[in-house]
Amino acid sequence: MLSEQERHHLTEHIAGYPEARAGAIYTLQFLQKKYGHLHDEALREASELCGLSVTQLDELVSFYPLLFRHPVGRHLLRVCDSVACHMAGAAALLTEAERLTGVPPGQVSRDGEVTVLPHVCLGLCDRAPAALLDDVAQGPLNEAALAALIETAHEEGQ
Amino acid sequence: MEPVLSRNFDLPRPPDLAQYRARGGYRALAAALEQKPEDLIDQIGQTALCGYGGAGFPLARKWSAVAADAPRPHYMVINLDETEPGSFKDRQLLYRDPHQIVEAILVGGYIQGADRAFVFVRGEYAEGAQGLQRAVDEARAADLVGSKVLGSGYSLDIDVHLSAGRYICGEETALLNALEGRRANPRAKPPFPFVKGLWDRPTLVNNVETVCQVPGIVLEGPDWFKAQGINGGQGSKLYTVCGPVKNPGFWELPMGTTARELIYEHAGGLLDGRELTAFLPGGASTAFLLPEHVDAPMHFDAVAKLRSRFGTCGIIVLDDATCPLDFLISTNKFFVRESCGFCTPCRDGLPYVQDILEHIEAGRGKPGDRELLLELCGKIAPNSFCALAPGAVMPLESGLDLFADVIERHIDERGCPWQREPVREVL
Repeated sequence: MLSEQERHHLTEHIAGYPEARAGAIYTLQFLQKKYGHLHDEALREASELCGLSVTQLDELVSFYPLLFRHPVGRHLLRVCDSVACHMAGAAALLTEAERLTGVPPGQVSRDGEVTVLPHVCLGLCDRAPAALLDDVAQGPLNEAALAALIETAHEEGQ
Repeated sequence: MEPVLSRNFDLPRPPDLAQYRARGGYRALAAALEQKPEDLIDQIGQTALCGYGGAGFPLARKWSAVAADAPRPHYMVINLDETEPGSFKDRQLLYRDPHQIVEAILVGGYIQGADRAFVFVRGEYAEGAQGLQRAVDEARAADLVGSKVLGSGYSLDIDVHLSAGRYICGEETALLNALEGRRANPRAKPPFPFVKGLWDRPTLVNNVETVCQVPGIVLEGPDWFKAQGINGGQGSKLYTVCGPVKNPGFWELPMGTTARELIYEHAGGLLDGRELTAFLPGGASTAFLLPEHVDAPMHFDAVAKLRSRFGTCGIIVLDDATCPLDFLISTNKFFVRESCGFCTPCRDGLPYVQDILEHIEAGRGKPGDRELLLELCGKIAPNSFCALAPGAVMPLESGLDLFADVIERHIDERGCPWQREPVREVL
């Protein structure tokens, strides 16, 4: 549940726009940071704040790929598979990531630490094949560098 | 040439306010405030400065478009939703010199007569957005942002908006819907955003690199700007080159630098043993150019004459070790995934194209498939709602034409001549 302080912060932010719904993306991002993903309760809280129904919010969450309706790992590894990274071996990296985490892309590793996702161009074409670990740019990656990244993510959880 | 946009890129960290000022920062803002906005628009209008986000619309015309009696507030929107594959120029400005962006917005907002500015930053650039927010906060504390900028009668606040993703948000009307907290579907034009934009108020949307060129013109004048370019270009440009080259990267160079200089000098040429097959000059949504075109100057008019687009001028190199069909599948996959789904030709047409391409790659293509693909291209591009699908079709159509023999060989030989094992699984 949001604390009074958090609710106050969001209310103030939303009040800065001519329409409350303009604060919806910020609010959803805030709630996702707090809870890890946007569960039903999070959408209800956002609904109260932004003046949108839960269905309208669901419409936003299902449209924008950086918003998660389902649980993801504590760490997110987004592997770019657009053309520059593709030519540099992104497909092999994603296969290797699946082997290392033991789960297909999009699923949470068994210890709950990592989710690997294929992702559109990250603007890191000069570092292909590249990835983002949480918000931090990584690359150029090879299998060893990828394994080190995934291992770090697992270790941080232990 | 002396670096203009990249003048602070030599620093190990982005300059804070004191450092930015010590290097001449915010001088252009002070100089702008001493002049009339209409005189500054006139100076910009004497140059060829146009939109560097890909569309290339003349900047002075756009900034003169809002009617004097249009209802207030007027909004300024900075497009930093850089998601075009092969483009990573705006990222450099954001991560290396956020105060430059703040100053450019303040100068641009003054010229436009804007009341409030929004910077729309793609969600994947979250760290950069935080740096920009810090710069805005620093500037606000120093009376540079907010009411009565530098003690003048001009006020402007700047909001940094972090997007929740999707390439379509870079389309200016989709971006406005995203800012308003709606699905980022493009809007019908007219009304154009300069008439009815954010919350139905006049709104000017510009790519960040374009706006960052304005302070230089304010300080040094239009003749100086024109003299920065070569081979018919004006000003400087943040060029990028990626793909199988020795030194992929970004460089600020005179507008009009040739593709040969970009690919073979700055990017170090192709990887050892590789030859250039073709290149996309302006990101993934442009038509292929061939080795015979490498001496063309890279600016809007010269690339348009070759029937491609300058776009963002993010050059993507295709070499002889990469199957052109594989390249086409990869670029089209991006557009399939990023379609907003609003109009049918894009939502259903691009996946249909993808399915045929993947079948051909897997050795299950049929005679006539290439012609079918060309027919689909001809139907998708003119019947779709915004520029995304025509952008997707551009490399595809030119690739189907230039690499016709490669496609036909895949069909005849029932597989990829480059690698016998298909990369992708086809249902």
